[in-house]
Amino acid sequence: MTTKEMFKVELRDLVLLGFVVAIKVVLSRFSLGTTVVHVSLGFIGSVMLGYLFGPVWGAIGGGISDFVSSALFGNQGGFFIGFTLSAMIGPLIYGLLFYKKPVKIWRIILATILVTVVVNIGLNTLWVHLMYGMDLKAALIQRIPKETIVPWIEMVVTYFVLQAISRVKIRR
Amino acid sequence: MSKILIGRYISGNSLVYKMDPRGKLLATIFFILIVFMANNPLSYLIVTVFSLVAVAATKLKPKIFWDGVKPLIWLILFTSFLQLFFTVGGKVYWRWTIFAVSSYGIENAIFIFIRFTVIILISTVMTVTTMPLEIADAIEWILTPLKLIKVPVDKIALVMSIALRFVPTLFDETFKIMNAQRSRGADFNNGGLITRAKAVTPLLVPLFISSLETAIDLSTAMESRGYRGDEGRTKFRVLKWSKYDLVNLGYFAILIVLLLVFRTH
Repeated sequence: MTTKEMFKVELRDLVLLGFVVAIKVVLSRFSLGTTVVHVSLGFIGSVMLGYLFGPVWGAIGGGISDFVSSALFGNQGGFFIGFTLSAMIGPLIYGLLFYKKPVKIWRIILATILVTVVVNIGLNTLWVHLMYGMDLKAALIQRIPKETIVPWIEMVVTYFVLQAISRVKIRR
Repeated sequence: MSKILIGRYISGNSLVYKMDPRGKLLATIFFILIVFMANNPLSYLIVTVFSLVAVAATKLKPKIFWDGVKPLIWLILFTSFLQLFFTVGGKVYWRWTIFAVSSYGIENAIFIFIRFTVIILISTVMTVTTMPLEIADAIEWILTPLKLIKVPVDKIALVMSIALRFVPTLFDETFKIMNAQRSRGADFNNGGLITRAKAVTPLLVPLFISSLETAIDLSTAMESRGYRGDEGRTKFRVLKWSKYDLVNLGYFAILIVLLLVFRTH
């Protein structure tokens, strides 16, 4: 597959990509949960990007969503290319596992665990370490409590979201 | 009704506002790397003074910058404390199992606190003094070299501007849908985990369907206005470099030189 074929996309899908990116930006300003655990809904946008547009355009959409939210709301913790990369890899993983495939529980569990381990625990810890010179061990300890609870909530939400979105896709 | 403010741009006309968004964005991105060169008290002092001068140059109220730091203040403090207990070296003042407070730890905690704060301050200067559309144009300009490896930068710019334009619209749409569902008994803030997860669907499906419809309408409208792909088009909004960007560049160069001289090698 050449690069040209890889990036080939119709205008209508390109415009829809813009809308899904906007949905992701909007959703990431909302959160779900009790006073103790807050789950930002932004991951739903990543799931939609991966599921609807596949790994390549999903990843591009993820990167754009990071730019757009930085432009609109400012990047909490500074402009850093690493977090753009993190925003790209989430939809990439979801795209590899969900795009043009039937919704299956094992895919959802695998994708969520992969995103949590690779992006949230792995890369984001690395970025904080690189950006602020924070001790890796300390950065990890700070992250672990949240990342042991949140993925399970994300899996449940992802399941319902994919069910709903796949119904819309069939109707189209 | 909506508590969420869209866009952090605050109008003003100080020197910082007259600088080109591309220069400001580049300076912000490089600042994060430059801060890294600081490694002793004097160099951290230089970085702090540099960012405070930049903040002062915007001629905006300090509260605006405090609002930028406020949401992250607990994270910053927590991070500094962790750093305090996990860095070992120098004179040890207190020790308990794996935790220890040492002179090296205290120094490191203060450095991390400063680094966090100055990075947030400079990023706030960027977002507060530049309009979102200008930031998007600057990002597009920075991405241009990616054309060399055949990345569709123009398509990315198109998606970015559509998303930027429709975020406020979709915000309104989201609140409308939430209220419509609430008026018929939907509850977005109560119930167990599964109930709350399910409550996302009556919000998301209408939002997605309306986006789908608008996307179809918009692409039809674009095609009827003669949009035939991104190549061979002219630009209406053009960014221009000015003499104020030399101030930006010069200020930045002075910081780098000072840091190179005063850091511990």
